[in-house]
Amino acid sequence: MIAAAAFYLFAAVLIAAAVMVVTSRNPVHSVLFLILAFFNAAALFLLAGAEFLAMILVIVYVGAVAVLFLFVVMMLDVDFAKLREGFQRYAPVGGVVGAILLLELLLVFGTWQFASDAAGFRLNPAPAGVDNTRALGRILYTDFVWLFQLSGLILLVAMIGAIVLTLRGKTSTKRQDIAKQVARSGSVNLRQPALGAGLGAIGIERPPVEPPPGEKPRQVEHAGHGHDHGHGGHH
Amino acid sequence: MPAMGMTTAMGDTTEMMAVGLGHYLTVSAILLTLGVLGIFLNRKNVIVILMSVELILLSVTLNLVAFSATLGDLTGQVFAMLILTVAAAEAAIGLAIVVIYFRNRGTIEVEEISTLKG
Amino acid sequence: MLNWTLALPEIVLGVSGLFILLGGVIPKKESFFPVSMAVIGALILAAVLVLGQGEGTAFLGQYVADNFSRFAKVLILLGAALGLLLALDFNEKAGLGRFEYPVLMLFATLGMMVMVSANDLMSLYIGLELLSLSLYVIAAFDRDNPRSAEAGLKYFVLGALASGLLLYGASLVYGFAGTTNFDRLADALSGDDVGTGVVVGLVFVLAGLAFKVSAVPFHMWTPDVYEGAPTPVTAFFATAPKVAAIALLMHVLIGPFGDLSAQWMQVIWVCSAGSMILGAFAAIGQRNIKRLMAYSSIGHVGYALMGLAVANDTGYRGVLVYMAIYVVMNLGTFAVLIAMRRRGRALEQVEDLAGLGKTDPAMALWMAVFMFSMAGIPPLAGFFGKLYVFLAAVQGGFWTLAVIGIVTSVIASYYYLRIVKVMYFDAAPDGALDARPASLTVVMASTGLLTLLFFLFPAALIGAAQVAVASLAG
Repeated sequence: MIAAAAFYLFAAVLIAAAVMVVTSRNPVHSVLFLILAFFNAAALFLLAGAEFLAMILVIVYVGAVAVLFLFVVMMLDVDFAKLREGFQRYAPVGGVVGAILLLELLLVFGTWQFASDAAGFRLNPAPAGVDNTRALGRILYTDFVWLFQLSGLILLVAMIGAIVLTLRGKTSTKRQDIAKQVARSGSVNLRQPALGAGLGAIGIERPPVEPPPGEKPRQVEHAGHGHDHGHGGHH
Repeated sequence: MPAMGMTTAMGDTTEMMAVGLGHYLTVSAILLTLGVLGIFLNRKNVIVILMSVELILLSVTLNLVAFSATLGDLTGQVFAMLILTVAAAEAAIGLAIVVIYFRNRGTIEVEEISTLKG
Repeated sequence: MLNWTLALPEIVLGVSGLFILLGGVIPKKESFFPVSMAVIGALILAAVLVLGQGEGTAFLGQYVADNFSRFAKVLILLGAALGLLLALDFNEKAGLGRFEYPVLMLFATLGMMVMVSANDLMSLYIGLELLSLSLYVIAAFDRDNPRSAEAGLKYFVLGALASGLLLYGASLVYGFAGTTNFDRLADALSGDDVGTGVVVGLVFVLAGLAFKVSAVPFHMWTPDVYEGAPTPVTAFFATAPKVAAIALLMHVLIGPFGDLSAQWMQVIWVCSAGSMILGAFAAIGQRNIKRLMAYSSIGHVGYALMGLAVANDTGYRGVLVYMAIYVVMNLGTFAVLIAMRRRGRALEQVEDLAGLGKTDPAMALWMAVFMFSMAGIPPLAGFFGKLYVFLAAVQGGFWTLAVIGIVTSVIASYYYLRIVKVMYFDAAPDGALDARPASLTVVMASTGLLTLLFFLFPAALIGAAQVAVASLAG
């Protein structure tokens, strides 16, 4: 009796939180309601006897995924005032579609039945006298080792993907590479230009790489690059 | 709730759960509907769409846990655990894609996603 | 009995993927080319192992190896290796030459192999997600290009929705049938009174898979993603994952849900007819050749599904033959599209092909071969692909579907032939294309020769498809 009352309480809060996730005006509120929904779903798992999954849901979901969401929402610095204006425009049509989908699903559950011999097809009957975590641990690394390893690869792909998409190289920071500077000998010339001498008098400062013989650099390039190199020479 | 009357149909396997399977399935169906609605109704913010996807996956997990308890079969819980793993990976990649989209366009509004049209 | 040695091709591919990843991370400088070569080597090694693989189930029935999975895997590995070859030069020029690209392609291929070998709803889901997550990333791989980022975002949102629906269906099937194993499901669903719960679950699973093959009610992502993603990524999307998804769809429908064929045949019928019609009409007005190829691929999936809608061995054999030929022609076509580059800039419009017949007769000739083949003109390979599904449809009494197929192929040949016309009869506006790299010439010539000379040795492919189908139904 108490369990039934608890079910209705958690289920009601879960659904209310889910509604708020979808409709709330501020994405930060959406994330917070998502966390609330996860907590209540974990409570429902507990009521169904899946205690390990309940703990995983709280630890992995609330602890990592929801916080990741929160982090990205904060990082993107979105103009919240402008968000969610268009909801009312699409609400009536969407509401009707949603209601139909929900009614149909409920209709299905009103007339459902197990396949006549479903009990005989059980692959992993829950053993009696063993708690849920231990029972899962017994099969997860043995019977399901194939899927377990593959889900490890999925996490690896997610890691590679997140890194390759968002990691920027050293473009934003400039570091001093001393070895590189020392090795530059020969490409930097120190000159003492006469006071008041313009670029024309100094000429173009280039690294000592000779152009192929018989090919003079075009005059246009002198004008384009001369300034940069002139500066380089002064420093 | 329209699905109340089915507890009797379950016979002796219900001792694992305090309330009937139908209740769980109803909650899960509502969650699925909310998730799908969240994807189609939301025109302003891609991150809320990602959260709606999480709601859909949560509804599936709830379904599996309820079935697992009713059938007395642990396969459903292993399936649910795999889904939690994949959902975490999916959230990471989804958020990474949202971040690069934001860097390129400076917005995460769904209605702005119209460079490509057919 | 885990019997894990049966899954040796997947295990070897996965472990070599991990080592290749290490080999790409450790060196200081960018190692795109050597890593790509190593990945192609690993794919070939996996193909050799697949050819020598035994038959049976492993991992307590979660994994199955038979002639059907072997046929699909060889095709997938071939498509992936050639798809990576197509990317070599393009990625270097487009600034996408990062070693993660081949590594992600390797893991995507591993996901496809797991999918076609899945004998359980859980391994189906895990394989599908391994594939999808890798594809989301490589669709958005050109991260500084808004179109690529948008393609990745669209593909991700709709793909995640499709996975969610598929999962919801899988959970209902598990709950109402009491198992996730395909063999046990086939037993559980063999009776006359299959509950509505299972049928609703099947509909959700079908919707999720239809998204992955981009069949008609769930096709809307295809043109946008194909256009926005970098061209070699599009080439990859259009080939190997399509084969994997079609093979998975066949495996699921014929295996565990074989006794529900009366229900799913109608759904597949509608998807097939819709895809053929949309593929024929929507492509006509397209000027961007990648969008055109997207609609063309939707149409081709429609023809392949026709064989599945017939729901007999002849039809299934037609699907396999069609998909094999489709992969070869598509890889060749995309090799030409990737070679379209003038003064370093990649081109994507149909008009950019103008004058190709004069400036680069060899490439124009191969492109013409691929276009004629896609239009289904004998004696090229594409004609045989269509012939086998149409024959199956006519023999099975699916006259309407066959007529729709013939009418839409006539309409679709308009836009394929328009490309040939542009190449040979329009004046080149802007000079010749850049010289193409050797890797593209290799792909073009090999797929072109296969397309051109298929009529000389059709028995090899058809025999292999026949053997594959026999193991599927038996």
